[in-house]
Amino acid sequence: MSGSNRLAGLKARSKDTTVAEVRRVDEVGEARGFVDRSPRKKPGRKPSPRTHQLHPKVFPEVGEAIAAEAERLGITQGQLVEVMWEAYQTRSDG
Amino acid sequence: MPVIVMASPKGGVGKSTCAVVLATEFARMGADVTVLDCDPNKSLSRWASHGLPKGVTIHGDIGRAEIVPTIKAADGDGKIVIVDLEGVASQLVSRAISQADLVIVPMQPTALDAEIGSEALALVLEEEEALGRSIRHAVVLTKTSAAVKSRVQKELEEQLRGAGLDLIEPSLVARAAFSELFAYGSDLTAMMKDPEMVTGGKVDKALENAQKFTEAVYERLK
Repeated sequence: MSGSNRLAGLKARSKDTTVAEVRRVDEVGEARGFVDRSPRKKPGRKPSPRTHQLHPKVFPEVGEAIAAEAERLGITQGQLVEVMWEAYQTRSDG
Repeated sequence: MPVIVMASPKGGVGKSTCAVVLATEFARMGADVTVLDCDPNKSLSRWASHGLPKGVTIHGDIGRAEIVPTIKAADGDGKIVIVDLEGVASQLVSRAISQADLVIVPMQPTALDAEIGSEALALVLEEEEALGRSIRHAVVLTKTSAAVKSRVQKELEEQLRGAGLDLIEPSLVARAAFSELFAYGSDLTAMMKDPEMVTGGKVDKALENAQKFTEAVYERLK
């Protein structure tokens, strides 16, 4: 057996691949136990894109004060902590 | 050009070996062969990672949603598409079968392989009925003894023929060279030429078996 001329005689039949056909094939398969076994996505909320988050425990009045100040400045509490850290570093250096 | 699908819900029956043998032999005949590795074990991708013979391309990581469009995209003039499926009963398998010009169900000559393999054959028949077109299918016995045909194999062949099933002959014999293809990549002719590829078996006999098997498959695609 050699030569591609022999292979040229091989023909593929046309096969419909409409959504309805695929659904019918799925139904036939499922009835025989050929079910969808695609790996499932990991359940739960996707991790936040923001990293290096802090979760400090503070007295309630301090927490409320930080939240109020952040709101007044129009920034997030995290951004306020960054400002506070910068101020702390400046004071430490001085 | 034809789409050949290897199907059996049982693992370890020789689907990947049949796929590699057919891909390499059809490529040696001059065909442009596209192999779709749909097995999560990635047997064919591992074989390909050691080197592909000329004329063979491979696509891996194909799931249920991609199988039909991937087969369509790979199909074309002068191309043979070979699909190696996972050894489970899944929608991926049923969808691939619907796109086949020939479904090959490999099975070792054991009652268990025959029983589980018959699920794939039954699925083909039901898809034929649902789609209103014939899907050619055949069984090949794998990992058979080179020396003697066992009583179980003789009985199984008789039963398969009795059930009106198309049995591809020759069977694929248990040869070390077939297993070593996954360790060395490429094809059996490369294995014969390279003295550094040590198989501990008769590569020439494996090649002869592969050629006759491919010829038998070719006859079913005409």
